[in-house]
Amino acid sequence: MSDNNEKFHEYDGIIEHDNPLPTWWLWTFFLTIIFAFLYYIHYQLAGGGTLQDELKVAMAQLEKEKASVVDTSPMETEDSLKEAFGKDGILAVGAQAFASKCAACHGQELQGLIGPNLTDKFWIHGKGTRMDVIAVIRNGAPDKGMPPWGPVMKKDEIYAVAAFILSKQGSNPAGAKPPQGEEAP
Amino acid sequence: MNTTSGNLIEKIYYDDDIVKKFLLATMVWGLAAFLFGLIAALQLAYWPINANMEWITFGRLRPLHTNAAIFAFAGNAIFAGIYHSTQRLLKTRLASDLLSRMHFWGWQLIILSAAITLPLGYTQSKEYAELEWPIDIAIAVVWVIFAINYFLTIRNRREKHLYVAIWFYIATIITVAVLHIVNSIEIPVGFLQSYPVYAGIQDAMVQWWYGHNAVAFFLTTPFLGLMYYYVPKAANRPVYSYRLSIVHFWSLVFIYIWAGPHHLLYTSLPEWAQTLGMIFSLMLWAPSWGGMINGLLTLKGSWSLLRTEPLIKFFVAALTFYGMSTFEGPLLSIKSVSALGHYTDWIIGHVHSGALGWNGFLTFGMIYYLVPRLWKTELYSKKLLENHFWLGLTGVLLYYISMVTAGITQGLMWRAVGKDGQLVYPDFIETVVRIVPLYWVRAFGGTLFIVGFLLMCYNIYKTIQLAPKEQKAEGTEVSRSGFDEKTDKTHRKLEGMGLVFSVLAFLAIAVGSVIEIYPTLSLHKYITPANIIEPYTPLELAGRDIYIKEGCYVCHSQQIRPIVSEVLRYGAASTVEESMYDHPFQWGSKRTGPDLSRVGKKYPNLWHFSHMMDPRAVTPKSIMPNYPWLAEKDTDFLVLRKKLSVMKQLGVPYADDIVANADIDAQKQAKLIAEDLEKNGGPRNLQKKEIVALIAYLQSLGQKGKQ
Repeated sequence: MSDNNEKFHEYDGIIEHDNPLPTWWLWTFFLTIIFAFLYYIHYQLAGGGTLQDELKVAMAQLEKEKASVVDTSPMETEDSLKEAFGKDGILAVGAQAFASKCAACHGQELQGLIGPNLTDKFWIHGKGTRMDVIAVIRNGAPDKGMPPWGPVMKKDEIYAVAAFILSKQGSNPAGAKPPQGEEAP
Repeated sequence: MNTTSGNLIEKIYYDDDIVKKFLLATMVWGLAAFLFGLIAALQLAYWPINANMEWITFGRLRPLHTNAAIFAFAGNAIFAGIYHSTQRLLKTRLASDLLSRMHFWGWQLIILSAAITLPLGYTQSKEYAELEWPIDIAIAVVWVIFAINYFLTIRNRREKHLYVAIWFYIATIITVAVLHIVNSIEIPVGFLQSYPVYAGIQDAMVQWWYGHNAVAFFLTTPFLGLMYYYVPKAANRPVYSYRLSIVHFWSLVFIYIWAGPHHLLYTSLPEWAQTLGMIFSLMLWAPSWGGMINGLLTLKGSWSLLRTEPLIKFFVAALTFYGMSTFEGPLLSIKSVSALGHYTDWIIGHVHSGALGWNGFLTFGMIYYLVPRLWKTELYSKKLLENHFWLGLTGVLLYYISMVTAGITQGLMWRAVGKDGQLVYPDFIETVVRIVPLYWVRAFGGTLFIVGFLLMCYNIYKTIQLAPKEQKAEGTEVSRSGFDEKTDKTHRKLEGMGLVFSVLAFLAIAVGSVIEIYPTLSLHKYITPANIIEPYTPLELAGRDIYIKEGCYVCHSQQIRPIVSEVLRYGAASTVEESMYDHPFQWGSKRTGPDLSRVGKKYPNLWHFSHMMDPRAVTPKSIMPNYPWLAEKDTDFLVLRKKLSVMKQLGVPYADDIVANADIDAQKQAKLIAEDLEKNGGPRNLQKKEIVALIAYLQSLGQKGKQ
């Protein structure tokens, strides 16, 4: 890039030289143009995958991986849950998760606010078994405004919250919301 | 060349008073723009900074900040530089003192009206085009005044050939007019409210064609023009390459206009448009760098000047930041990179390396160059200038690095999917809390930038104060030149024909505009009839206008991209039909909070009430402001008839009786929501309040399709 020192034009004292275009710059320009054409032809004209296609492939891949993970875990039963809920320290973990995710609707003391009171024997969905509580947390009750937490919380966390909730049965907090749903036997 | 040819030597007087006016306005509005930015930055780090005042909540302050930075600070700067350099390059006084002053005062009034209406919540919610219709008209009028004044000046010129700076100014004047007018076609609903004629993907396409090219033709081409004048002037060095100027000018204006859809990658915009946006952004890399190369090679060999003329430092830094951000731009336009960077603070960092580094530093260099010359004195202190430079540079770098780090960190957290097929960070707030420390770093960087700017203000104040009081206008002796030049070079001939040049520049920007916008105007081509949605109910529409007024779109997107982690987090990818009645579209461009396109029915009404009153009641550590006034202000039900009739005019299928009874219908729906709130333990009698309309709108999001 040697400087061509010849004056080409002059405007208000500004002298204009006419050096050649830098080769690397010109090649950068050409290569981006070539790439652009190939890219457009591939994706818009020659049937290259659309973004929706890519999503389908990625979702299928995800489902496959998920299936291989779920297969190895044992079936949940009331008994397996009973054992899992008895783990040391689980209530402390559950209390923390409850405070950050559930208390907004069910109250810090589980007394019920937007959502129902969780300390009485009345249940809107199911009969308050461990399996029932897990199912409501996991799948939610979208028509009642309870979001599904399955996609958000890990299995251990859901167990901890459920264990914590069930540990508060009969705690009679102040300002408890009147019973909703059916009384469990 | 021509001075010896026996031409008449005339003594003329340049209009430097108008340049001084615009320069001072640049500094005043610059300070305002930077302070608004700093307050906004602090609000993200520590939300209570807004003191619960609705006028300065982030959603209203951010548009004020961007408008002030672009149109007030950069706008006044380019007018100052254009008016100063053009007179000298064309050897003539500006065509009309009256038009120049109408331009100046008109522009300041527009800025003032923006500073009043935006905090009050009068907004169209289209980024960098938020101002409502009466101000839109004023902008068009003032811009036409500017254009007439400018083209008349070109006609009066004594230098036949237009220098490269003028080419860039011409492209700016023409394109900004086209962008502003096309993007602002709207139907008024009231004195300060309107709905755009475009909806959904149309509105998105037109808006980002505008938004991107506001960057191109308001923050790039005019500044390149200024660069081509002030850099060789200040360094007293020849411009490196005339032919590089030609090639990069035409390729830049032709290619830039196509790049808008790179703001809409992975959205429901038709994919051919997205692909065009991406490839033209890539092809833009070299043309953009052409300007940087020509600038830096002009400065080559004058590095000793950095000591004797320290203002050159600002130009070197500006060109370097220009090169950096015009490389980063194409990079971010690659679909897979956009997938990570879009909606994050990376984009905010990118924008500020351009705005503070390129536009800011070039403007500062220009001010330091101009003020001593205009006021016929010496700069008060070179030492202060040095300090300004280093403080500013440190500030921009801290800003940029912290925001890129924040953006990439959060982007990676959003997309992380574990082996179990679940999101690793399903709680959105977790990804926000992680980057709050970086918000503090950004605010600190911004503070340094402002401190540097204040040093400049003081330096300039002292310079002007110490200038000779008697400022007699000095004439300049000029003679006509270039008119007898013989050339067979086509472009050289073109440079002598102002009108033809302008028409060609217009055609260069028209091609990409028409090819991208025209097809999307026939929206029905992209709609699957089976997926057509229900329009909003009157109350939902009222709520939507509150959503727009509060600037919710500033922090929340409504567009789920076809990317696994997004589908897991928010639900199915957004469709064309879901926004087909959205005048204006609310896709947003940043996710300071989560996407809301499928938030409807996800939470109970009372959840939304509690959340709007104090977001931390339901989401601990949330950085969203409180909106207590929504529970106090009444919804204007009566205006809904007018609103629905305008929507109907725009093609939204409302039956006549719905339009006629819009207010009654809305009140009925409001009563139901208010009752539900009360039943669940919320406050009583909210049915007339804005919060209820907003809740109705939020609950409708994602619920309008056939399920």
